[in-house]
Amino acid sequence: MIFRAVEDADLIPKAQRGDVEAFNLLISRWEKRVFNYLLRILQNRDDALDLSQDVFLKAYQNLRKLEDPGRFAAWLFRIAHNEAYSLFRKRRPEGEPPQGEERSGQSVTVGGAGVFPIELSIAVSSALGRLTSEQRETVVLKVYQGFKFEEIAEILSCPISTVKSRMYTALDLLKADLSPLKTRGVS
Amino acid sequence: MSCSPFDLRDYFFGELPEQDRRQVDLHTKGCAACREELNSLRSTQAILLSAPDEEIPQRIGFVSDRVYEPSRLRRWWRTFWGSAPRLGFASAAMLSVAIIVAAMYQPTPVTPVTVDVAGLQADFLRQMNQAVEKAVAESDARHERRTAELLAAATRRFDSERRADMAAVSQSFAILEKFAKREYRAANFPESSR
Repeated sequence: MIFRAVEDADLIPKAQRGDVEAFNLLISRWEKRVFNYLLRILQNRDDALDLSQDVFLKAYQNLRKLEDPGRFAAWLFRIAHNEAYSLFRKRRPEGEPPQGEERSGQSVTVGGAGVFPIELSIAVSSALGRLTSEQRETVVLKVYQGFKFEEIAEILSCPISTVKSRMYTALDLLKADLSPLKTRGVS
Repeated sequence: MSCSPFDLRDYFFGELPEQDRRQVDLHTKGCAACREELNSLRSTQAILLSAPDEEIPQRIGFVSDRVYEPSRLRRWWRTFWGSAPRLGFASAAMLSVAIIVAAMYQPTPVTPVTVDVAGLQADFLRQMNQAVEKAVAESDARHERRTAELLAAATRRFDSERRADMAAVSQSFAILEKFAKREYRAANFPESSR
């Protein structure tokens, strides 16, 4: 008997043929990533959970349209991106794209001499929250989800040059915001 | 500004081709400023990643629901066509059937025939001459038979007329003889004729 790890490539064709159990296995492999992606761009746990369920429901309904199983990750995050922006539009009926908080010109301050994990999380969350939604989403897809620029461009439906521009601008802002943590030896 | 031959950020995020990566590797070994820039990128990423992923508070799962499931026929159809070996077998079977049908209904090849035109013409002339000769012979025979019949009829009519003439002549002679005898007796033997 040969044991081999079950891969997306095994599960996707089965799920495309209507195998619910195969799709549930697929969900179990991706739900945490999708939830955290939505959580970081929406910054709301309940919304992230609700949208995660919607994302997988839409994925199940449309999985047969996916021609190349190798593009599943980008395809799934494209659905998640659309769901998130659909929610943004509902919350902002005037159609303005969601923006980050007004930049105060001050770095994130973390109290005390030592830096605790919770403080780090708050500092990072706050720094990400100061980015525009496009910048934040690009950082999340690149740093946390590990997508290539080409895949991010596919997910966001924009040119690679735009993705790089957003990413590097965001990176400069994050470096400035998070520099106090670096000086305290967090890295 | 970085003095690296390629964008250090592209290098850091693994977006450079292998050859370009090697050039940046070589450059950063001798360039303190670029090494510092890379360290800064690494520490920023490390801080970002220090905020760990959260566990999803509620697992997502689906139960089988007929609303979203395709019909039994569609499932069978998708299963059939979704299987590469079965698809291959079906293709091979269809190809075999096509070959057999083509072999069964293929018309036998027509071998080219060389036509001997001169021979055909000679044969045609010979047959035509034979037919003409036969027709002429039949016509001649028919005419001969008709001539013979006419001749025979004429002969019979002539004989009949001759016999009738002869009978008439004989009768005339008999009358004349009788008259001559009476005249002779009257002249030579008047008493006996009274």
